[in-house]
Amino acid sequence: MRAVAIVLLGLVLALGLAWGARALEVITPLASASPSLDAPLGRDHLGRDVLARLVVGAWTFVTPGALACGVSLGIGVPIGAAAGWFGGLVAAGQRALTASVESVPTLGLVCLGAAIFGPSPQVLGALAGLAWAPRVAEAVRARLESLRQAELVLALEAHGVPPWRVLIHHLLWVGCRGLLLRQALTLFAAVLTLETTLSYLGDLGVAEPTPSWGNMLSFEWGIDGNPWAAAAPALTLWITCVALAWLNEPEGRRG
Amino acid sequence: MAERTLTLEGLHLADPAGNPLLHGVSLQLTGGQLTALVGASGSGKSLTVRALLGLSGLTVTAGRLSVHDGDRITRPYDSLPNAAAVERSFATLRGAVLGWIPQDGRAALDPLREVGAQLTAVARRAGHDPNPGRWLERAGQRDAHRVSRLYPHELSGGMAQRVNVALALARGARFLLADEPTTGLDPTVQEAVLTTLRALVDNEGVAVLLVTHDLRLVPRLADTLLVMHAGEIVADGPAKALRDLTHPAAVALRDATARVSGGWL
Repeated sequence: MRAVAIVLLGLVLALGLAWGARALEVITPLASASPSLDAPLGRDHLGRDVLARLVVGAWTFVTPGALACGVSLGIGVPIGAAAGWFGGLVAAGQRALTASVESVPTLGLVCLGAAIFGPSPQVLGALAGLAWAPRVAEAVRARLESLRQAELVLALEAHGVPPWRVLIHHLLWVGCRGLLLRQALTLFAAVLTLETTLSYLGDLGVAEPTPSWGNMLSFEWGIDGNPWAAAAPALTLWITCVALAWLNEPEGRRG
Repeated sequence: MAERTLTLEGLHLADPAGNPLLHGVSLQLTGGQLTALVGASGSGKSLTVRALLGLSGLTVTAGRLSVHDGDRITRPYDSLPNAAAVERSFATLRGAVLGWIPQDGRAALDPLREVGAQLTAVARRAGHDPNPGRWLERAGQRDAHRVSRLYPHELSGGMAQRVNVALALARGARFLLADEPTTGLDPTVQEAVLTTLRALVDNEGVAVLLVTHDLRLVPRLADTLLVMHAGEIVADGPAKALRDLTHPAAVALRDATARVSGGWL
């Protein structure tokens, strides 16, 4: 099932590359046309192909999503690893940091960042990653602490495994990789909703004419003619969030 | 059989504040011998075991340790002021010569990997046969093929202990330091685990240090007995001579054991 989902995602993204021009093509006489063979989801009120815009719009999550995952793991894992390994003051510092960053709403932080650095998907992704990093650190520290409480670490050292290998291989890679994958997927879903929210609200997200599901929704909201022009991005967004949540569900034991 | 002895002389260990925790612990382990280290909780048994592995995390203020395994002689405490040299020396001993059998067998295993994979990884790093079944069988585990495909949470307490013994053997350990390996196991399983250790001593010339607070195990299983009290070895001798112990701490331990077990001892 997961493999099928990944292949489908790849196909959609490939199609998005091919349809870049088609998504921007304005055909005024066909404004708000109903679904047809030519445009299976009809056209928006400028006469652009809704399906093409939907598919191309999927790309707007890729950069901020990947950037957010990179930033949050890149910052969160080392901090969490240090807190879990050394404990004491380092762990206390990590907890204080987590609490202070968590107390700022992510949406507010991202709006602030967009106002300072200008709205762009890169800024959005980096800031979302920054806001998420303390959660990653917290999860890694908690996992390391629970693994260390077991006699595992002492046993590994008694078997002659060097301490750096215990930390990097046994605790972080084997112990945390599933958890980190889960964190990354959750973050990706969060970035997706965040980006859509900002694009829907207007100025701070992806700007017209570049398609994003959020700006498609806000652009077509309340316009008569082709209901699919607004319903399609809303439904796609909903299905994608459900799918990401489903991907995130633990699936029995896996090697 | 090549000479195989571990000799610890006058080990002094202090906590970070400088309070002494072990005062001159001396003991000797010999290949083909099972040595029992008994004492009440908090007497320093586990600390002694960790110090033998160089994993006490505390300051060794004095002491000499020499480990002879065949032609190979290691003396990790010879360069006492140089902590880095001590650690390097212990790093060559841990796993390759000294093995640790924990109290909670399941907690000492990687919870996220199959038992067989853990054994293979350890054996491969030591340059030994990576087939996990072989090591499980040597550790007295029946049905080794099935067991190697289980995860630690699926093991019984006795199986988990055999897996830990197998890990130590796969790594090449010739001295097994077993820190209360049967605590929390039911008597049948206790007996099976201890019989496994005894068989390794008799058949393969392994040296075992068995830490326990259960004196009843000693006369039947052990060759030598050490009694520990407040950070010191207060009595030692052949295990059969348990009744001749005169030190007050040893007598108290023996009498208490006799009372709780209904005069069994």
